[in-house]
Amino acid sequence: MIDMASASSSLASSFSSSSAFIGSKVILNEIYSQPTRVKFHPLRISAAACTSTAERTRTHHIASSPGSLYEVLGIQMGATFPEIKAAYRRLARVLHPDVATINGQNENTAYEFMKVHEAYETLSDPEKRADYDRTLFRQRRPLSSQFSISGLATTMANSPRPNSGFPGYSTRRGWETDQCW
Amino acid sequence: MAEPAYTVASDSETTGEEKSSSPFPEIAIGIDIGTSQCSIAFWNGSQVELMKNTRNQKMMRSYVTFKDEIPSGGVSNQLSHEHEMLSGAAIFNVKRLIGRVDTDPVVHASKSLPFLVQTLDIGVRPFIAALVNNVWRSTTPEEVLAIFLVELRAMAETQLKRPIRSAVLTIPVSFSRFQVTRIERACAMAGLHILRLMPEPTAVALLYAQQQQQTVHENMGSGSEKIALIFNMGAGYCDVAVTATAGGVSQIKALAGSAIGGEDLLQNMMHHLMPNSESLFSSHGMNEIKSMALLRVATQDAIHKLSSQNSVQINVDLGTGSKVSKMVTREEFEEVNRKIFEKCETIISQCLHDAKVDTEDLTDVILLGGCSYIPKVRDLVRGICKKEELYKGMNPLEAAVCGAALEGAVTSGISDPFGNLDLLTIQATPLGIGVRADGNNFVPIIPRNTTMPARRDLVFTTVRDNQTEALIIVYEGEGEKVEDNHLLGYFKITGIPPSPKGVPEINVCMDIDASNVLRVLVGVILPGSQHPAIPVMEVRLPTVDDGHGWCAEALHRAYGSTLALETVQKKI
Repeated sequence: MIDMASASSSLASSFSSSSAFIGSKVILNEIYSQPTRVKFHPLRISAAACTSTAERTRTHHIASSPGSLYEVLGIQMGATFPEIKAAYRRLARVLHPDVATINGQNENTAYEFMKVHEAYETLSDPEKRADYDRTLFRQRRPLSSQFSISGLATTMANSPRPNSGFPGYSTRRGWETDQCW
Repeated sequence: MAEPAYTVASDSETTGEEKSSSPFPEIAIGIDIGTSQCSIAFWNGSQVELMKNTRNQKMMRSYVTFKDEIPSGGVSNQLSHEHEMLSGAAIFNVKRLIGRVDTDPVVHASKSLPFLVQTLDIGVRPFIAALVNNVWRSTTPEEVLAIFLVELRAMAETQLKRPIRSAVLTIPVSFSRFQVTRIERACAMAGLHILRLMPEPTAVALLYAQQQQQTVHENMGSGSEKIALIFNMGAGYCDVAVTATAGGVSQIKALAGSAIGGEDLLQNMMHHLMPNSESLFSSHGMNEIKSMALLRVATQDAIHKLSSQNSVQINVDLGTGSKVSKMVTREEFEEVNRKIFEKCETIISQCLHDAKVDTEDLTDVILLGGCSYIPKVRDLVRGICKKEELYKGMNPLEAAVCGAALEGAVTSGISDPFGNLDLLTIQATPLGIGVRADGNNFVPIIPRNTTMPARRDLVFTTVRDNQTEALIIVYEGEGEKVEDNHLLGYFKITGIPPSPKGVPEINVCMDIDASNVLRVLVGVILPGSQHPAIPVMEVRLPTVDDGHGWCAEALHRAYGSTLALETVQKKI
């Protein structure tokens, strides 16, 4: 299949450029060689603001400078659990592929949603959040493995998946010949 | 077999694309194919509405009879009597047969049904056949389901006066991806495009999310998070979900399920009333089928009565000289099915545990499905969830199909001025997905209850010096050993540069996209290098076809552990 072939080759080429496939080591260095910036974003409630939050998050990723998990969710470091949950839901309503497709966004938002979800998973778990906060202060590598995953996802998200070339490739189930009948 | 149907299906795909750009996009319908009953619902512009067949039924029996020249299903066919369905000419309970091999205990349990389910116990699809004029006519579960879906589709097209192309179907939580492909095939044969396949309780969760949002709108209150446990037990499957809902977003925290249901309760009861029933009916002669039907109907009737009364007198003449005359109490019924009820409790506890939710956090407990009328089931759910009151806002038999129709409207891009479709379900994987490694072990890469879309990877290595090839065998399930899981497919990595064992890094990455398509990517890297040693493999799964039961065994015979994998201990 055409899209598979090109997807593989783009994965392979992104390999050589960022070697993300090797996993944690390289990616972590990439991420954490940059100073960890913690921005303070006020909580926004309106739908319009919601969209802007999402877009801001997206530009961050595309510029491949992922900030802290708080930044991913667009919340303050001292955010309460209800605030974290609310932020997660607000972003999900924009970034979840189901919604994004309907709103006619061509970009594949799956990666961004995964990123948001990972941030939420860590920050909504008191223990994981405490661990994360410590690593954030010390600016050291976190022990969790999620960065290798997201690292790999970065290469995938940045690799141009030819959505247009194959009807309903990413968001709809297609009748594919390689499906086992 | 049904090659032309695929052409029709791909045709409908393009039509769907064109339609979605028109100002009036096609709204996908919701279909709930139950083991025993099925229903169909659609978004009528302001709310979800259940369709009725020409006999004014919302719930239609899920069966197809082959007694006439053209097979007909429970949508159009009128049963003169319950016994007609049990004459051997009708195939039912296909949901318990589809995508299962003949070594599966669920298939074996189906052998006491009046039609023929033949097993050779070698891991191939079972042979099923209907008795027509004293001839066993073979068919397949996919064919039966397709015939039924064609009838449903025709009914919907007549009533809605428009062609129906897309549908959202509900499936049991415990369905493997291989079983899902069989459902997809049946839909393709029926010319239906599957927009989504939703685990049943997640469809209910969506309906719950909508109801909660409406309540919030009415009270002008704040949309605080509500956590609900959904327990759905029908004739064939028992499913549980824990969902966290706020502001129309339903996040599935955990799913659990098993192929246990009313059919098992019925069979255990039949066995209790007539301990030698299975051996008696195994010959599937005309008279045996008749006796079996009589016993089945009488037992079913008794179980229904035991939901409202404490004891019931069963008197049934089986024709062949044997009679069953017995008084059965509710306690007896509960004792006979003790293991089933215990299993239900285990599934609920596991789901709560996986969701990391305590019973006091539960806002609502929603009990659904045909078995929800059984007092013991109500008691056990209330007991484990420590809730006196069960949620009352849903019809136990209609909730799943309503949820599917809601999802159909939402994913078709329909918006509602009152915000009734301002909904989103964040799904989770019902089963873990991983590969065979470390001997005969199943190593999950995407664990169960991972939020979708998902992408996870794990590094493996070789087990022998100069091992240049490795077999990637992908399984789905929860068992520790590979044989306790469903095989999804396998492929070989070749050209690994010769090096001592344990040196090459074989990165296996699994990706589930928004439409639940699973892809496995495998790359090989040698330490010190920043480049992949060989091109990355990307494989869409499942790839296995029928007879997958013995594929794994054949691979093992052919290769032993020569192409095996080992997990790499995570260096911190």
